[in-house]
Amino acid sequence: MQTNSQTGRRASALAALAAALATLVAGCGGNGAAATTSPAAADAEPTRGGTISYGHQQEPPCISGGWVEQAYISRQVLDSLVSQVKEGEIVPWLATSWKVSKDQLTWTFELKPDVKFTDGAPLDADAIKTNFETWLNPKTINGTVASYIGEYYKSSRAVDELTFELKLAKPYSPLLSVLSQAYFGIHSPKALARGVEANCAQPVGTGPFVIEEWNRGQNVIFTRNEGYNSAPANAKHQGPAYADKLIWKFLKEPAVRYGSLTSGQSQVIYDVPSVNWEEAEREYEVQRYTTPGRPQTLTLNVTRPPFDDKRVRQALAYALDRENAVKAAFGDSSEFNGNPALSQTTPNADDDLAGAYPYDPDKANALLDEAGWTGRAADGTRTKDGRELKVVVTYGAGSIINADGATLLQMLQEQAKEVGFKWELRPLTLSQLFGGEYAKPDKYNAVPGYWTSPTAAVMYIVWRQSLPDRPNGSNTAYYNNPELEDTIEAANSTLDPTEQRELYYKAQKIVSDEAVAIGLYTRTSSLAIDTSKIRDVWLEDSQGEPVFHDAYLVR
Amino acid sequence: MSEARRTLSRLIGALGVLWAAATFTFFVQSTLPGDRATLILNQETGQTIERSAEELAPINERFGFDDPLLVQYVDYLGGLVQGDLGRSYQMKEPVTALIADQIGPTLLLTLSALAIAWVIALVLTIATAKRRSSRFTSAFEVLVAGLPHYWLGVILLVVFAINLQWFPVEGGTGLSGLVLPALTLAIPLAGFLGQVTRDEFEKVLDQPFITSARARGMSDLGVRLRHALRHAVLPAITLSGWALGALFSGAVVVELVFARSGLGQVLVNAASSRDIPLVSGVVMLVALVYVVANLLVDLAYSLVDPRLKTA
Repeated sequence: MQTNSQTGRRASALAALAAALATLVAGCGGNGAAATTSPAAADAEPTRGGTISYGHQQEPPCISGGWVEQAYISRQVLDSLVSQVKEGEIVPWLATSWKVSKDQLTWTFELKPDVKFTDGAPLDADAIKTNFETWLNPKTINGTVASYIGEYYKSSRAVDELTFELKLAKPYSPLLSVLSQAYFGIHSPKALARGVEANCAQPVGTGPFVIEEWNRGQNVIFTRNEGYNSAPANAKHQGPAYADKLIWKFLKEPAVRYGSLTSGQSQVIYDVPSVNWEEAEREYEVQRYTTPGRPQTLTLNVTRPPFDDKRVRQALAYALDRENAVKAAFGDSSEFNGNPALSQTTPNADDDLAGAYPYDPDKANALLDEAGWTGRAADGTRTKDGRELKVVVTYGAGSIINADGATLLQMLQEQAKEVGFKWELRPLTLSQLFGGEYAKPDKYNAVPGYWTSPTAAVMYIVWRQSLPDRPNGSNTAYYNNPELEDTIEAANSTLDPTEQRELYYKAQKIVSDEAVAIGLYTRTSSLAIDTSKIRDVWLEDSQGEPVFHDAYLVR
Repeated sequence: MSEARRTLSRLIGALGVLWAAATFTFFVQSTLPGDRATLILNQETGQTIERSAEELAPINERFGFDDPLLVQYVDYLGGLVQGDLGRSYQMKEPVTALIADQIGPTLLLTLSALAIAWVIALVLTIATAKRRSSRFTSAFEVLVAGLPHYWLGVILLVVFAINLQWFPVEGGTGLSGLVLPALTLAIPLAGFLGQVTRDEFEKVLDQPFITSARARGMSDLGVRLRHALRHAVLPAITLSGWALGALFSGAVVVELVFARSGLGQVLVNAASSRDIPLVSGVVMLVALVYVVANLLVDLAYSLVDPRLKTA
């Protein structure tokens, strides 16, 4: 084990202690029944009825919205137009078919007939139109929807009852992928008319479940939508859900969440604690979903020294033994992702970029010498013209970066020090982080971050230039490169898969060559499932939302 | 001073405390660095970025963030006078409804913790004061009084819920789910109350009236219960007023560890997202708890010590 992990926070040490105690007990034979994970599971006939108890982690302030934590919950009540399966393939959901005009500016969707929202309103083209308009209306805006399609959307129209037409301002070939995310889940227009407040806690859709009650701080209780007839084509069955009820509990403390599974209070839990990972794989079914989109990267602010110099950015990339550090900090719960632009599970991700900057301290030192950082302060920090090679790394502690991630940042801090960086870690509270004060370019030199997305088009959000008349806060490197923006935009505009792949590859290579970001690890979602009690829970493919429509209890 | 006048001045004092709590929270929360509209927008999308003026305008308008701070404050106070605590920025619901929803579990938790702490402290004191085991028990009390809630909670959870499975892992609303959280809060407090009571109890046992009671042939237990106890609990009663408030802050941690609903969780989430109406609402409520608890302490005093009635 690494010695520098001693600096880990007390909280994580306690969690580890708790887990160790729990493991000890399980080892004493408390858990024999769960070990019989049989492959015969698939043959069993699904049973109806019963209550699913699911232990989730974070509780968002609203159930519907543009945050992935909201998408997890709203997916249970809202259906989307389309669903994404492996490698970006799109299958029907509320839309049974679709076509795009030659100029790629008009998309036409045919809707599934005889579908009703759970408040009785019919699903028709007008309903879809109302949804698009509500998402993009400044008063009721969904910021995540807007960051994907705000620039591309022109208008929507109901051609007839079940034909919906979407007009775009410029071609956008990843549209279907984008629409498969739960942020784009379709609400009842009648429910939307109730206003932002009501839709925060009680979104109404056509989905497999209905929200019965939200006990804040504790759980959301869902009941089955008896009339459900609009499951996506990739569901394991059509028709209403098998279970009567779904209790979605918020168990933030890792020891409680895992304990809830081992004690049988939950049949499924989310985010298996890394200290329990090995045991969980032995005793339960563990599903791991590696989130596509932008991986967890360290983005370097190019507006100020020292990272305004490409050689210094590259030197840092060479100085960090990221692969081993990720392994030491996360074990099997997350993987190293060297590509700084896209996570390895994103369609069109260039796998070769993982090795672009192998661990090479000599090369790092040579680059720093070349960049003129040749002086040395008493503590070994490099200097240039009397300035120290100091970098401030801000990070959202306990939110963007979990305890394992913080351990990783500390390991990287040690490695950066070896070549003469003074790396100052500055943890931010939620209010500091979201308040935007520390997002200003003069507040940091490097910042970690990710963006869950099913498509390489997410690069347009992250790397589009931030210009005075067109600011882009998501470009946290403040790196303005017209060639990069044009390349991504061109990729977003072509329907030819080969050409598109080449363009996305080119964009990733620019990000990597310029070293404006350094790839760290993949963000993963995981489920541990007690298959002696429940079967057929799955993680969908657009962003890893757990799906309970097909799940049934074992009697 | 007449009884009515004294009650009135107390009431005014209590209102003053509430007003000060609301004002202080409002200004501290409003003037922290970082922009509230950015915060709301970022939390709605899970992003942590700088926002353009164009994006922020509708939110500023909706919540009135563009108004001068003083105007916002007067608006807020105006609402308070009419019993309107405002609407949570994040959760979009009225603050009074959110508090009403969550106060039950927290009161249940803190009051049971207080009761359990008293029982433990009294049993330990009566059983061991001035006896050979007193020093050992006293050291034990000092030790547990210093235990952090987080640590104790996790240990109790792992041993009694996960390991022995005597109690449910997640609290829920049942009585069995209340035991471990309440004990987590009660044990350190019991150590604290026990220390104070023991000191006083041992002093009282040296008093002449104790000797005379023993001379009348009263049993040792009788002396302890009938004579010494009444004197010895006074300092602990005073402390209980403070303890109830402190238990509210302890509840923040315990509710998190045991995944219980309650005000603690609401306060943590609200404070970290600078949800001013909600934070102010909870802070005022805690201030109210302190005020009421101190009134109750005064009342309890005159019951336990009749000499104070005429004062």
